[in-house]
Amino acid sequence: MGNNILELREISKIYGSVGALRDVSLTVSQGEWIAIMGPSGSGKTTMMNIIGCMDKPTSGAVILDGMDISRESQKGLTNIRRDKIGLIFQQFHLINYLTALENVMVAQYYHSMPDEGEALRALQRVGLGERARHLPSQLSGGEQQRVCIARALINYPRLILADEPTGNLDETNEGIVLDIFRQLHGEGSTIIVVTHDPEVAEDAQRTIVLEHGRVARVTHS
Amino acid sequence: MKRQTMYLRMITSSLVRRRSRMIVALLAVAIGATILSGLVTIYYDIPRQMGQEFRSYGANMILTPSGGGRITPEDAARAAALIPPENAVGIAPYRYENIKINEQPFIAAGTELEGARGASPYWFVSGRWPEETGEALIGQEVADIIGIGPGGVFTLSGITADGDGFKGEFTVSGVVQTGGAEEAFVFMSLEALGDIAGGGGLDVVECSVSAPQTELEELAERIGAGTPGVTARLVRRVTQSEVTVLSKLQALVYLVTAVVLMLTMICVATTMMAVVAERRREIGLKKALGAPNGEIIREFLGEGLLLGGLGGLLGAILGFVFAHTVSINVFGRPILFKPLLVPVTMLVSIAVTGLSCLLPVRRATDVDPAIVLRGE
Ligand SMILES: Nc1ncnc2c1ncn2[C@@H]1O[C@H](COP(=O)(O)OP(=O)(O)OP(=O)(O)O)[C@@H](O)[C@H]1O
Ligand SMILES: [Mg+2]
Repeated sequence: MGNNILELREISKIYGSVGALRDVSLTVSQGEWIAIMGPSGSGKTTMMNIIGCMDKPTSGAVILDGMDISRESQKGLTNIRRDKIGLIFQQFHLINYLTALENVMVAQYYHSMPDEGEALRALQRVGLGERARHLPSQLSGGEQQRVCIARALINYPRLILADEPTGNLDETNEGIVLDIFRQLHGEGSTIIVVTHDPEVAEDAQRTIVLEHGRVARVTHS
Repeated sequence: MKRQTMYLRMITSSLVRRRSRMIVALLAVAIGATILSGLVTIYYDIPRQMGQEFRSYGANMILTPSGGGRITPEDAARAAALIPPENAVGIAPYRYENIKINEQPFIAAGTELEGARGASPYWFVSGRWPEETGEALIGQEVADIIGIGPGGVFTLSGITADGDGFKGEFTVSGVVQTGGAEEAFVFMSLEALGDIAGGGGLDVVECSVSAPQTELEELAERIGAGTPGVTARLVRRVTQSEVTVLSKLQALVYLVTAVVLMLTMICVATTMMAVVAERRREIGLKKALGAPNGEIIREFLGEGLLLGGLGGLLGAILGFVFAHTVSINVFGRPILFKPLLVPVTMLVSIAVTGLSCLLPVRRATDVDPAIVLRGE
């Protein structure tokens, strides 16, 4: 398959005596929307960290966009992260002393060149054009999450990773965020989202359920 | 937008919008810089201050008349002859007369200009010393009151102790600043004063003799015995103790400076350490976004150096105020502002903060980007 964007080949991650992931294999093709579910401690975040090049598996291979990242150095991983991954967090992780606009521009800054106009358009796209000059503390949780999404998208990542993106949001904001995801999916973005919420998983094409670090079930919708 | 602009925006926002956190570090740097620049200012101003303080002690032996009246030129010559020529650094005879210029009272001092010049190294003359009998060197106070400067002409009048009136016209060759009573004097050659006021004799002879204390005491006794009209009095040679005081002061300044620099460094390092710990998530996020270690270092160091520069500027200003206050209280005189000290203080503060940031910044690069998903 030529259009595989991600392939996990029997990856395991062992922390001391804890096997956080055990022989997990997964193939994700371009434009797919995948949901990962499972009880707490089942290894979802561990898997996201490995896919997002922030951690390396203890064994197994990770092929991202044709590259085997399990062989990369720290520096190489940093560059891959910067160029290919868009990250969305449950806790938003906005820099508290920068405005919404500047938070988006930080991602541009590390990637290549800050471009205020483009950053502003990204915020407008998630409906925050009016609040671009606000500090995170002046934004609601839902608004902060949308800034986080704008930041994740600004460098056109090959893969969007979201760990519990709606975990801290109320239903209205969850709806807004899901709408943005649907739109991204419609435009051909590849999305992997970790969630506890079956409603969020509903939209995904495939749902991977982890239990004790293993893939317990896969459901297609 | 240029990357540099964004960089500056990031580090300044971090300082400005998180000011409560950074204020401790800023204070540490500012206080260190204050003490530093204050001490250096005082230290470099002290020789000037001391020079003024001890200006009248340029001489270490003073000859005064034994009874009433004046020292006759013969007595003066006899006394001077008793001083071994190889030890005599400068001998300045003075004759004083009360005078008035524009109805303002001053004192005219006739002296041997060459000797007076050698005996008063601390005098600051704008213009030049008199070269002809029609010229006079006036004190700053005289110049201010009668409103005259080098090249100006004035008339003085007075009455001698014997009751004879006199008058004379002089050209100002220069204005002298001594920081003391001499600023209300008009200096001229003995001949010039003799020409207008008549008579002769000296009120005091200031001698600068280079000899050990014991020899000086013997010399004073010999002069007193040899010339009954003259009493010789010793003045402690202050220039000597001045050097001792200064070198002791220098050691003290170095010591205090080193201690202050160290305390500043410890304080800045601890604060930055806390800042790094507090901002672990932010660092992790930046790394997750693809910031290389070099960039993380650049940002923290940039914040640190900005802090150092600001603290240094603040310290340079406060340091001057501090030095000024000390100078006013100790010497009763204002201090000279040295503009060069501002950039120097800033540079030192920047260097010190940079140095103390090294370890905390290294800590920052150790942060694992995986923590952002874990949500620590
Ligand atoms: N750095 C670590 N050191 C040791 N053990 C770890 C570390 N990170 C994760 N683990 C362990 O690995 C297992 C999987 O953790 P992980 O965070 O991936 O779970 P999760 O599915 O994301 O859970 P949750 O739904 O609560 O977020 C857990 O048992 C956890 O304690
Ligand atoms: Mg998790």
